[in-house]
Amino acid sequence: MSDISQKTIATPTTHYGAAKASTWGFIIQRVTGALNVVFTVFFIYLVVRLARAGSDTMSDILGNPLVLIVTAVMIISVALHMRIGMRDVIEDYVHSEKLNRLCLLLNTLFTVIVALATLAALAKLAFWG
Amino acid sequence: MPTHPRPLSPHLSAYRFTLTMTMSVVHRATGMALYAATVLLALWFIAGAFGDGALDVVHLIYGSWIGQIILFLATWSLFQHLVGGIAHLFWDFGSGFSREGRFGWSGATFIAGIVLTLLAWAVFVWF
Repeated sequence: MSDISQKTIATPTTHYGAAKASTWGFIIQRVTGALNVVFTVFFIYLVVRLARAGSDTMSDILGNPLVLIVTAVMIISVALHMRIGMRDVIEDYVHSEKLNRLCLLLNTLFTVIVALATLAALAKLAFWG
Repeated sequence: MPTHPRPLSPHLSAYRFTLTMTMSVVHRATGMALYAATVLLALWFIAGAFGDGALDVVHLIYGSWIGQIILFLATWSLFQHLVGGIAHLFWDFGSGFSREGRFGWSGATFIAGIVLTLLAWAVFVWF
């Protein structure tokens, strides 16, 4: 790994770092963060309503289109937020270039799998009881 | 396009522990905990999709004493990260940076995180 001087980082002409991805991450992290504050109120309702419930009750509650849509959007918002958050941590603490790339890839895989698996389960409960 | 290594972040050992610094670390730590906790949420809905048999297993594990401790800590992580995030949003707009603002926000989020967690469990679980 080559040494990076402060000058390299500070000089705009070196185009240091991933400008577009970082700006996108900065904005999306704050938008999803603010959204997730609101989603938490809904999430508490959902967890309390479904705690200890059987799959019939789960299907009933998620069969309501409004509940299903809000839950699905919440999952996507959370997935975006946590991917960016973990990426920041990886960028800060995993310095070896190969390991860094591997961790970023695993981070994306994890968030996509968790989100898709949850969305699939929600769809199954809502549409096929 | 050539890629460059990222600037190195100083590790925890480089800092003196102050309230604001500690709450910043707590914000990250709870974020990481919530990242892992999404698996618990996913497994719950997946079990529901498979039916009552799978759901019974989840109820048994999540309802066990170790499961309840993990869910309690996950609840605290959620509320702590929530109120910490609100403080960060205020700081993003450039307010709350005075000495009183910084320490007020940091201390308030720590207290609010614990109070909200105890309140949620008291209302929805214990009583």
